[in-house]
Amino acid sequence: MSEQTATRTAAPAVDLFDRIALGVVGLSIVTFLLGWTTLFERTGTDTAVAGLSLFTLFGAVFLLAGIGLLVSGIASYVGAFETTADRYTGIGTGLGLGIVGFAVGGLATTILFGVGATGSVLVGLVVGLVVTSGVAVLPEDLGTTFPVGLLGLAWGGLLVTGAVDAGWFWNPPSLDATFHAPIVVPLATIALSLLIAWSGAIVAEGFGSQGRQNGAYLLIGLNAFGMIAVLLLLILFVVQKGLPKLLEGAQFGPGLGISVPFLTKGVMLGQQYNGIFPAIVGTIWLVIGAVLLAVPIGIGAAVFLTEYAEQGRFTAIIETTTNALWSTPSIVYGLFGYAFLVPRFGNSNSLLAGMFVLGFMLLPLVVITSRESIKSVPDEYRDASAALGVNQWQTIRSVVLPAAMPGVVTGVILGVGRIAGETAPILLVTSGQPFPARAPSILGSFRFVATPPFVQNEALLQASSALPYQLYAVITAGVGQEEAFGWGTALVLLLVVLGFYAIGIASRIYFRRKLHQ
Amino acid sequence: MSTTELHEQLKDRLGVESADDSVVTLGAVGALCLLGSAVAFLIGSPFTALPLAGFLFTVGYGLWNHQATTAKALTFLATIATGAILALITVYLIIEAFPAIREMGLAMFTKTSGRMWITRGEEVYSLVPMMWGTLVTTVLAMLIAGPLGVAGALFISEIAPDAVREIVKPAVETLAGIPSIVYGFIGFTILNDYMMENLDLPSSGSLVIVGLVVGLMALPTVVSVAEDAISSVPESMKSGSLALGTTDWQTIKNITLPAAFSGVSAAVLLGVGRAIGETMAATVILGHAQVLPEPLYDVFGNTETLTSLIASQYGVASSTHMSALFAAGVVLFVTVTVLSIASQYIERRMQIQLQGDT
Repeated sequence: MSEQTATRTAAPAVDLFDRIALGVVGLSIVTFLLGWTTLFERTGTDTAVAGLSLFTLFGAVFLLAGIGLLVSGIASYVGAFETTADRYTGIGTGLGLGIVGFAVGGLATTILFGVGATGSVLVGLVVGLVVTSGVAVLPEDLGTTFPVGLLGLAWGGLLVTGAVDAGWFWNPPSLDATFHAPIVVPLATIALSLLIAWSGAIVAEGFGSQGRQNGAYLLIGLNAFGMIAVLLLLILFVVQKGLPKLLEGAQFGPGLGISVPFLTKGVMLGQQYNGIFPAIVGTIWLVIGAVLLAVPIGIGAAVFLTEYAEQGRFTAIIETTTNALWSTPSIVYGLFGYAFLVPRFGNSNSLLAGMFVLGFMLLPLVVITSRESIKSVPDEYRDASAALGVNQWQTIRSVVLPAAMPGVVTGVILGVGRIAGETAPILLVTSGQPFPARAPSILGSFRFVATPPFVQNEALLQASSALPYQLYAVITAGVGQEEAFGWGTALVLLLVVLGFYAIGIASRIYFRRKLHQ
Repeated sequence: MSTTELHEQLKDRLGVESADDSVVTLGAVGALCLLGSAVAFLIGSPFTALPLAGFLFTVGYGLWNHQATTAKALTFLATIATGAILALITVYLIIEAFPAIREMGLAMFTKTSGRMWITRGEEVYSLVPMMWGTLVTTVLAMLIAGPLGVAGALFISEIAPDAVREIVKPAVETLAGIPSIVYGFIGFTILNDYMMENLDLPSSGSLVIVGLVVGLMALPTVVSVAEDAISSVPESMKSGSLALGTTDWQTIKNITLPAAFSGVSAAVLLGVGRAIGETMAATVILGHAQVLPEPLYDVFGNTETLTSLIASQYGVASSTHMSALFAAGVVLFVTVTVLSIASQYIERRMQIQLQGDT
């Protein structure tokens, strides 16, 4: 075994060692990606690469990678290459691989021998414990490569020999589900690829603390990459599905003007292109109402909590309350609106009730972000203003609030993005007709009357649609020819919400740059 | 209480130094008007607008003549309003849920045999299947959002180079913004069919899809809160460790993560809260069967979650049935509020500890 003090030299032999390890990492990342494309049915069992069917290719890669890992592990152990491997692998890695052992052992038992749930969990536990303790006391160069390499050989062998082929399936007696190879193989491949990539990354840096850092960073980096991939895929998918509907019958170009019927028409019989105009107008009014309600109250509360109140029990209670409000589920807000607001606003679902409920949801976010940005205004500003002899309110109005405004605006925009997509409360307090023909006309409906409450607005007290509700209506109406309508709505909703987010984030970056100039 | 005493008290509260009686009177009138309109609104009176107009007039007059005091009073009122909303939610949920709880007694939370949700004839309301459904989806979701979220937070705050962080951080934030109904629509149209085709499921919709989707939705919450916690670990602690010759990863593993542990667990708790409260994805994906899965660990079957129960049945419910839905809301609300308070407590303790350490 190599000693801890040994350092790696730039000898050609080490070069070879590195190449094997990097090859293992590269191959496993390829199978990782192919696993995902297979899961998403972009590649299938009939996809052939270099004359091999996909599953055989997976198998061959795993055999190669497994051998590579085993060889490099042994080579380091016998001292053929100088590495910085530790004496013991350690309990952390042991536990991680033990969990893998538990899963593999348990699943293998129930699949191969048809043992029930309790039995296979017990076997899995035993396997897991053996792996954990075994790996923990092995020298690091063996502990990090052997279990993974053996697993690679086993899975590769199953795939190459055709023991698990495209027609393979497993039907657990206690579940209704049947697991077919086109799902199982890619899932197992993805998981194993990650393990092999991790192990290969450790080998590539010659084990030791550098090796462990390399392995961990590889996984963490892949995770971050995955999150971005999910975001992009989601957006692209919705765009691809929704764009045809959005542009149906649309005309723009020189001399034509711009007309997009999907955005400017309601749903009417005998109309060539139906659209979601009423829902768009509904969402706009809901957002305006919520902002008008939440922003003044929210900023007011934040000013009081930060500038006037003494930090103590009262502020602590309000802070806890605000955070609790922030995490209250949207459906609970919906229930509250249903019980409290709807009976008081003419006993029917109404835009006004929706504005109030969404405003209540927006309020905690405004309080929290406003407090943060008011707190971050330096005390020097306040002192300088006070030294001019003005009172506290004038300082707040002319110095503190303007300085805090960028943060407040950003917070409000991001919050609006969130409530614009809320469905559950709208469902309970605002929704009416699933496919309305006309948009509510708020501005045209104000009337003054002689009896209280003196100002009336029929449109505010009527049910309305909104973008998220429109999408829900498509789902409950049953899928069929309307599915395209749903995708179009989803795209518009996504554009609205992400638009708010983009503006919010861009303004934050802009203000921060300006501050640092 | 005499009028002078009232004046004294109001003066104290509003912090008016000079004995300006007109300000005190103004405050009293405004407060009375606001109280009046609140009471009128609560009892559903059409005359709510009258005292409200009085209040607005008082505020207008106050802002004109005594701006500083009025502004302070208004900010105080805003603070009270924020707290009052939580109180109102609590009160109204419990009032509405009471009839069902009185009728079913404890059986509402313990009945596990026979038919557990009958809305016509001999009515039975047991929330056990929904609580189980919520528990299963939440556990599945956190298996995804917990580890991946913490790893994402580590990447953003400790590992990523500045340029990469500038991309990943907004991307995660944007991911949080994708509306749940969009996830639900994708789950409903794509994932449900996919599962039925590839796993031979007998019915559309299953807990495992809901868990997966909700996990994806809780992920950004965990990332952002955990990232805050990790980056609040003082730089001096990290550099102390690095100066001893450890690698970055050793410092993260042995110094940063343990120091941020409570903050990270608070983040996971908040993620749990998000997962429990997630409504639309569960509503459109699940097939709405108010039964316990058989066997209990069958995540490919259909059951119901607390949120999807409310969203799918509120339209057809009346009297006791509706009240039972409110009881589901109470369970949700209490659970999530407890989680929120617990995570805040943990976070506060962490801040105190870190301040003590540096």
